[in-house]
Formats: sequence, C-alpha cells, structure tokens
Amino acid sequence: MAVWQRVASEEELQPDTPFATRIGEAQLAIIRLADGIFAVNDVCSHEYALLSEGFCEDGKLECPLHQACFDIRTGQALSAPATTAIATYPVKCENGDVFVMI
Amino acid sequence: MPRRIIIIGAGQAGRRCAETLRELDSAAEIMIFGAEAHMPYDRPPLSKAVLLGKEPGTALFVRPAEFYADRRIALFLDEAVTRVAPDKKRIETAKGRNLTYDALVFATGAKARRLVVPGADDPRVMLLRNLDDALALRARLVEKPRLAVIGGGLIGLEIAASAQQLGCVVNVLEAGERLMARGLPASISARMAALHQQHGVRLHLGARLDRIESTTQELTLYRADGCLAVDLVLVGIGAAPETALAEAAGLTVADGIITDRAGRTSLPDIYAAGEVARFPHPMNTEISTRQESWQVAQQQPISVAHAIMGHDRPYDEVPWHWTDQYDCNLQVLGEPSDALHQIERAEGERLTLLACDSDGRLCGAALINNGRDATPCRRMITSGKVFDMAVLADTARPLRSFL
Repeated sequence: MAVWQRVASEEELQPDTPFATRIGEAQLAIIRLADGIFAVNDVCSHEYALLSEGFCEDGKLECPLHQACFDIRTGQALSAPATTAIATYPVKCENGDVFVMI
Repeated sequence: MPRRIIIIGAGQAGRRCAETLRELDSAAEIMIFGAEAHMPYDRPPLSKAVLLGKEPGTALFVRPAEFYADRRIALFLDEAVTRVAPDKKRIETAKGRNLTYDALVFATGAKARRLVVPGADDPRVMLLRNLDDALALRARLVEKPRLAVIGGGLIGLEIAASAQQLGCVVNVLEAGERLMARGLPASISARMAALHQQHGVRLHLGARLDRIESTTQELTLYRADGCLAVDLVLVGIGAAPETALAEAAGLTVADGIITDRAGRTSLPDIYAAGEVARFPHPMNTEISTRQESWQVAQQQPISVAHAIMGHDRPYDEVPWHWTDQYDCNLQVLGEPSDALHQIERAEGERLTLLACDSDGRLCGAALINNGRDATPCRRMITSGKVFDMAVLADTARPLRSFL
C-alpha cells in the first residue's frame, strides 16, 4: 500500500534541478517548478537512463541519453524516441520536508 | 493534394514520412514498400540490445501493427520496388504489382560496405546492417568466438563492446591511426580507445588488411606486419547510400540522392527521405551533407511530408548523433573537428568538449556521459553567438547560463 515517504527537505530543491532519490526499488526524480514540487519515475521509458541527469526546463525533463522529453507534471512522453509515459507520484510538503506517496 | 503517395523503403525514415503525411492529410492513400519482411524498425538497438539479447522494447519496433492499420498506412513488406518510371509516374514491384503515384518518396537508406580483400567472401566474414544480420551475428557471438572487427568507427566499436560483454575475445582492426576519426577530435578518440582497452579489447591501429585465409577451423587475417587468427570477422567499414533504383530512374545522384532542404529531388513529385538524401548542410548551406543518424531518419522526413503536402518546412537541425558503448554514452553535436579551438569541461567521469572557431562561435561539441549539456550546446551552436572561450572553460558556470 502506498504511504507518504520523506524524500528531501524543501531547501534542497533548486528550480529546474532534479533531485534523485531511491525508495525501495523505485528510483525517483523530485523537481521544483514554479507552481510546486513534483515527483516522477527517474528511469526513462525508452532505454535505461536516469532522467535526473538530463536537462530540465519549462516543466519538461529531457533524457540525457537520447533526448526524449517528458512532462514533469503528467509524466507524458512529449517527444521521440520515448512513446510511453513515466509514472508520477503525489507530493506534499510539511514543515520544510517533502513527502512522496509511494 | 496528392491522392496516392508511395514510399520506397520501410525503415525509420519511411515510417516517419508516412505518419507525418497522415497527420497532415486524412484522405491520401499512403503505401510503404519494404524489401525486408519486418515491420519498420529503428536501427540503433541492432548493434547493442539485439546483440546482447536484451528486450529492446519499443526502441526497435516503435509502432505496433495496429498503428499502421488505424492510420490506413498500407505496409507492403518483403516486396521490393524494382523499377520507377517518372515519365508515367508508375512503379513496379518484385511481386509484379504495377502502380501509379501522385508523389513518390525514396527512403531506401544505405547498405553496409563490403570488404574487398581476397578471402572476404567466406561466410564467417559478416556484416551488420539489418535485423536479420543482427540475429545471425548474435547466434555466432553467443558461442564466444575469437572475433575481429574490421573498422574502428561507431558501428564497429558498438559491436566490439557488445561482443566483449558476451564473453568473446575481441580485436578491432582500424586502418587509420585512431578510432572514430570521422568528425571527432583526437582527444575523444583517445578516451574511447582507453575505454575499450580497459574492457580487454585488443586494438590494432594502422592495421590495413591484405587478405584473409580460411581453413575449416579458423580465419587468418594477414597484414603487412603480421597476422591474426580468429573464428569470426565482422566488417564495419561504413555504409553507402542505396541509390541504384534512383539512378536508373534518372534522378541526380552523387553519394546520395541530391535534394533541396525539404527533400525535393531533381524530378517533379519525387522526394528522398532519411540517410539516402544529400541536402544542403543545415549549418552551412553552401555545402551538401548526407547524414547517417537516428536524427536524420526521425526529423528530415517531417520536412519531406510537408513538402509533399505543399508546405515549405526546411530541415535545419544541428547534426546530432550518439553512441552507447559499455556504460559510456557519447553524443556529438555539430562538427567538433580538430581544426577548431577545443575547450574541455570535465567533471569527474563526465566531459563536455566544446569546439569553437577563432572568434569564439560554438561549431560543435562532444559529450561523454554528459547528455544534460546537449540542449544548451545545440542552442549555443544555432545562436551563432560569440563566446569568451576562457569563460566557457569555467565548469562552475553551467552551460545554460551562457544562453
């Protein structure tokens, strides 16, 4: 069952700078955007690569290997070579800490 | 608007052209003819995931069969086009079909160059170009043969890395003095050489092959300064555009089908898409270029589809390609040649090499395990801006801050 798990402190998260973390088997990228903090699966849906090592801008995360682009808010694959979405997770902030529901 | 569009070649470029055409026009009849029996697939996994026996997922067959059916894109597989008659706007196929077209696209790709030395016709001297080649090669590599890869270019090195990971004894014979010399600076070649040597691959540089002698047990490769006995040879010495049909049809051909920036050929209503096309260089339209990359097969056919539908949308992307060898990802943007000023931004195992002209304009970049710099580099190249080269070297400043 999914539970809230602490992944970072709010002050660790700089705009457009993905923060990579692991919860059990899951690899997550936590990203601060202008309208909030978001969590996505960090692994590209095309071939294995960590999206947190890629370029981040305008609410989009770009795979460092082959430049597939994902929407950070919805997980949707926006450009080839990826065609499938990445998972997104609910995020909440409490007393300066960031929690992800996973 | 053209009523029937025929695409010759069911590879990535043919697929991209067809799917873009359908987005632009819901009514046109779209037909793809492919010489291979497989549905359209992308080639990058052939030398890596397919050889390693990994599940390439959607990286190989990007679209399922229903995709084509849903979009009324008719696939004619295992059916090569054998003749094109531009005066009658008609094609003939190997299965005896005879069809007229309103627009015709050559997306015929390229074929692997063969080795021309005595003995190279032995069946244990293999090529890698298509999916069947990759499956045949994998069947041999899992027996862990002593392998000689002829050619230290991108394909040869990817195969060398895959074969090494499968437990083969791997030799790479390169006729030139360094690896991946085409379009890459010597410092990157040296790093890739070190990477392969760390993995136990034996590199033979300046190794020009004279002949291959074969017995039932093994193949012996002879060159001026010695010989090498192996069980299997893989030739990776580049590709040549598949232009025979286009030449026979009277199109202008010179190492590729000559096109404008949107894929229009020398004859009306005939287009060329993907790596068979030679078009004005996006960074210098005074010269022409023919590119063998995932990018050109993915993006240039979009321009072709637009041209067919009467919209001008020139292909102007900064050339980009990548290679994955072991855990190393190398990306090349523009043309980072040795003739330019080189600026290295190294952070641990990551490297971004910037190549600037004498004024400080960025002309090319090579990234090792540093893909996050690809988009900033691409924008810096297209901007044409003059940068202070001393400041560019400062890794404390992320590249995006220069835009």
